[in-house]
Amino acid sequence: MNPELIRNLHDLLPQIQGYIYPNEIEIHWGLLIVVYPYITGVVAGAFILASLVKVFNVTEVQPLYRLSLLTALAYLLVAPMALVSHLGHPGRFYEILLTPNTSSAMAMFGFVYAWYLMGVLLLEIWFVHRTDMIEWAEHETGVMRFIHRTLALYSRDTGEVAVSFDHKALKVITIVGIPSAFLLHGYVGFIFGSIKANPWWSSVLIPIVFLFSAIVSGIALVILLYMILTPLTGGKISMRCVDKAVDFLFYAVIVDFSLELVDFIHRVYQSEEEIKILSEMVMSKLFASLIIIQVLLGMLVPLLLISLTKIFKKRFHLNEDLRKMVYFVAVILIQFGIFATRWNVVIGGQMFSKSFRGLTTYKMEFGGLEGLLYAIFLLALPIIILAVLTKILPPWKEMHGQPASESAEAAGS
Amino acid sequence: MGKLFEKFPDPLARLIVVFLAFLVVGVIVVAVVIPKQMMDVSAQWADAVKREEARPIKYAGFHVCAECHDKIYETKKNGYHRDLSCETCHGPAKAHTDDPDKVKPVIPAERTFCPQCHAYNPSRPRGFPQINPVAHNPLKPCASCHNPHDPKPPTTPKECSACHGAIARMKAVSHHVQLACTTCHEVPQRHKVSPWSVKPTKPQTREFCGKCHAKDGKDKMAKDAPKIDLAEHGEKYVCWQCHYPHSPEVEQ
Repeated sequence: MNPELIRNLHDLLPQIQGYIYPNEIEIHWGLLIVVYPYITGVVAGAFILASLVKVFNVTEVQPLYRLSLLTALAYLLVAPMALVSHLGHPGRFYEILLTPNTSSAMAMFGFVYAWYLMGVLLLEIWFVHRTDMIEWAEHETGVMRFIHRTLALYSRDTGEVAVSFDHKALKVITIVGIPSAFLLHGYVGFIFGSIKANPWWSSVLIPIVFLFSAIVSGIALVILLYMILTPLTGGKISMRCVDKAVDFLFYAVIVDFSLELVDFIHRVYQSEEEIKILSEMVMSKLFASLIIIQVLLGMLVPLLLISLTKIFKKRFHLNEDLRKMVYFVAVILIQFGIFATRWNVVIGGQMFSKSFRGLTTYKMEFGGLEGLLYAIFLLALPIIILAVLTKILPPWKEMHGQPASESAEAAGS
Repeated sequence: MGKLFEKFPDPLARLIVVFLAFLVVGVIVVAVVIPKQMMDVSAQWADAVKREEARPIKYAGFHVCAECHDKIYETKKNGYHRDLSCETCHGPAKAHTDDPDKVKPVIPAERTFCPQCHAYNPSRPRGFPQINPVAHNPLKPCASCHNPHDPKPPTTPKECSACHGAIARMKAVSHHVQLACTTCHEVPQRHKVSPWSVKPTKPQTREFCGKCHAKDGKDKMAKDAPKIDLAEHGEKYVCWQCHYPHSPEVEQ
């Protein structure tokens, strides 16, 4: 055996409790696989928030529309990086593209991803920004002019027919986009939920739980970005918009929490043979990440905070800064909570032995392709991409509450 | 844009061009750029098939064994080892079938061989015959008691004490020494085969112990047994919730 592997296992052995099979000592789906569902979740959630404006005509959250689309794109571009990096030979990933496998559930991600990126998100962003890019290019010179011209596909038609087609197309794409966003993250849940040998994952509720936690994390992240970026770019945070978005966030958290509670009660009531080892795992190895971070800090405390602003409406409505602070703390806590949710699903599912008689432990690397540093890089990368995207397609006007262009105004009304 | 696209709105026409471009590039990549060998897996398989074919054949398969050893084959066919092939224990025997006199297959006689499957291991299924090789008839070869071609499952001991020794020893010095286990426990026959899934009964009523210990108990054998008033003593509890029947306490 590989001596390095043995050294690694040697460190793990004292951490093992009870009886486990030899191939369960080391956890193979590590931190990168935790990052992957977290990032795709943000994509799906941010897109659902964007669709609130276009499909459900929630005009209050119009300032978040472009920001959420760009956030979804920035995170979507990074989503497959976690998976590709996790492969033993990342350099060979193109072989997946050259020899597509249509019968593997895991390979299906490629198709779902391609559809969502090319068929939904890029198209929607293009239609939203087309007239703007034409307008910007007219007043620009040099590289930016070239970029905007090229991205607009050298279109210069801002006539009535073209613009009304833009609007029609946007409506259709968003309507198609909602099931597609559900598909994107439902797929991630499906991959876990369909592993019938693993009782921690195998549940029909998992795709739905994933979906709602995705909506929660996406909305919370866009609110967080809006609350940070707006003052930085010299605008004023529209509390009407944030209030409405937090409303939706609040309901999404409640639904997410109830679904997870249903799943929990169901497992406890069924009390199948695995329940003893699972409850031991929850109370020992996952106590901090599940009970403390995911449930208490990631759900109950934010729910309480947001409910406080609703219960003591008068008090909080007089003081916008207090409300802002409460929202700010709540959305940050929710981010940690949802990340812990992904952690508990991915790592938790591999911590107990399939003999149901023992627990192993996860030893995270620091450097290396599966390590903490690289995971932090992957989590920071979407923010960098978003910074570049906002340079090319600035959403500031809309975020500051001014109509970004005719089309946005028309679409918003 | 050409005249063809004039009836489409401008943005749609441009997108169609882009998507067509993607399509054309994709088709070119698949049809021209990717080397044919890369898509054709038969070339890779051909080598593998040749390589596998070139390997020497070591195993003969149990059908060949049955041709000469028909009696052993018939015995094994109905026994618990029916799913094991002859060569699982006796090793590859192709050479033996080629020259039966010169090459003899191994007969595993050492005590380390059978425990590969039958040593106790918590991951083995419940009910699978498992022993502790150190404690189980030390030094005796397995085959001196078990016929490997027709192994029998272990026989269940007749006495309860074979498994429940601690209870039997405790009861032997208690006031209940005269009572057989079956006086209080009904033991289904299946308990001896699947002791965990089929369990003996326990007395579920107060009246059961009352047959001897009630104030008006009629059993002659128990005329000296401690008596209580069932209506007053111990309220709703079944007797064994307070008194341990295998070693009942004595109060004078």
